Amino acid sequence: MIDVIVIGAGPAGLAGAISCAENGLKVTVIDEFVRPGGRLLGQLHQEPSGEWWNGIKESEHLHNEAQKQSIDIRCGVSVYNLEKDEDAWNVHTNIGTLTAPYVLVATGAAEFPIPVPGWTLPGVMSVGAAQVMTNVHRVEVGKKGIIIGANILAFAILNELQLAGINVERIVLPEKSPLSKNAGEPEVVMKSLLNAAHLAPSPILRFGSSFMKNEGFRKLGMKFFPKSGVKVNGTPLQLRKAALEILGKDQVEGVLTADIDVNGNVIKGTEKVYEADFVCIAGGLYPLAELTAVAGCPFKYVPELGGHVPHHSEKMETPLEGLFVAGNITGIESGKIAMAQGTTAGISIAKHAGKGSTDINEKLEQAMKNVHTVRQNAAIQFNPEVANGRRKIYELWDVFYGKEQDTLQEIG
Amino acid sequence: MNNKEALVICRCEEVTYGQVFATAKEHKCTSRELKLRTRAGMGFCGGRTCRVMVDRIIESIVPNTEEGDIPLKYQPPIRPVTFGTVGENHE
Ligand SMILES: Cc1cc2nc3c(=O)[nH]c(=O)nc-3n(C[C@H](O)[C@H](O)[C@H](O)COP(=O)(O)OP(=O)(O)OC[C@H]3O[C@@H](n4cnc5c(N)ncnc54)[C@H](O)[C@@H]3O)c2cc1C
Repeated sequence: MIDVIVIGAGPAGLAGAISCAENGLKVTVIDEFVRPGGRLLGQLHQEPSGEWWNGIKESEHLHNEAQKQSIDIRCGVSVYNLEKDEDAWNVHTNIGTLTAPYVLVATGAAEFPIPVPGWTLPGVMSVGAAQVMTNVHRVEVGKKGIIIGANILAFAILNELQLAGINVERIVLPEKSPLSKNAGEPEVVMKSLLNAAHLAPSPILRFGSSFMKNEGFRKLGMKFFPKSGVKVNGTPLQLRKAALEILGKDQVEGVLTADIDVNGNVIKGTEKVYEADFVCIAGGLYPLAELTAVAGCPFKYVPELGGHVPHHSEKMETPLEGLFVAGNITGIESGKIAMAQGTTAGISIAKHAGKGSTDINEKLEQAMKNVHTVRQNAAIQFNPEVANGRRKIYELWDVFYGKEQDTLQEIG
Repeated sequence: MNNKEALVICRCEEVTYGQVFATAKEHKCTSRELKLRTRAGMGFCGGRTCRVMVDRIIESIVPNTEEGDIPLKYQPPIRPVTFGTVGENHE
């Protein structure tokens, strides 16, 4: 008998599994990748404190902890459906159906695609794929690259490519279109980058942080934004240039670009081709919530959290009995926060299962507080308004489920 | 067809931006109908890459649709599986 099935062996899933097991539950973890760690595996960056965040080490640490707790981890297994009969969840996988009263869905995030003409050529990849190839598989993605799309993930991965000795020639924007939406509008992009100054140690962005929060300054800043870009760790960030097409016969050979105005409109006659042998498309992240959707969980669209997220409480419960969530499925944030949420979910599950010692409520409060603390100290924040997004979803929970349950109890 | 129209949106079924855009414009329909009419998102991978784009095209064409309004409708299986797997034949 399994008590808890955890779907996803990223930081949230592993931390959740560990805290379930510590509280006396029997846990199985499933992940479709060949090794545990999730998106942690690709991460490598220096925190403002100077300390290095080495995702592979963090994953190994979590994996060891999980092994000490005799947690059964199955890699290379995909979950393709999740449904409930009377009292247990059925987790359908390519190695058969597993059953348990509790399920923790910690499937993380996925990247937004931004199609660009020529994007089916070999040598074009998402920026996340470049991260995995470089840091997990140790494969050189190319010799001379161009990143299309300027966001925090692109900066983080640019640094990682540079650390691996891979040359990224420039970062440009995608052409403005219904598909790229505001990823193609220089002023909007500038605004979203303001809280990434520490990742992009460049005078203009640092200057930006204080000045460019004002819309007037921002417009002015974009108007006079140098054509050659500003340097991000040596790589020009060209917010006034858009990629029109990726060129090449059998593989990537270059990118056709053009200058754009402050609003992202192409300025005719400024077309220019830059050579490249690989191109990374950086469209940003959204919560990967498919499994909670097929399970029948209601959703709310919260832009600050990256898209549609399943209704959930701060204790990581969903409205469906026995179904819990943690990590990026609840909103896009960094690995440490996912871990803290996983711990919260694990304790929460133990509490529902009637496990854990008498101080389980205290532990749960402590774990929830810890999520806030970790968030306040986060080195990477994908959306500056994330705390607001979190508040919205917890308020929604109180309105829909919290109070309702209270009154039901009063009546019943 | 210019390069933008020939841009492949759904790789599994090889559906182009031009096709999806023209169909959306003609029928001003839901994402689901657009999928059924063009087959974008109905291939092997189950729309894992292109569903976002199909939704965005609808948003840009059908008045009063916002990203948040398009319901998050997923159907199992959410990963490609063999008939054997669905039939619980795990040999
Ligand atoms: C491409 C990419 C790059 C990122 N880079 C950074 C970075 O540099 N720094 C940073 O702080 N954050 C980064 N993030 C954010 C990252 O999501 C969080 O840091 C953190 O890893 C989230 O943890 P998680 O446990 O919620 O999900 P993840 O770490 O994504 O783990 C989820 C796991 O679930 C598995 N899974 C999903 N669906 C299924 C299924 N149906 N069946 C079986 N297994 C499944 C996946 O294989 C994966 O291992 C990145 C995210 C992505 C997508």
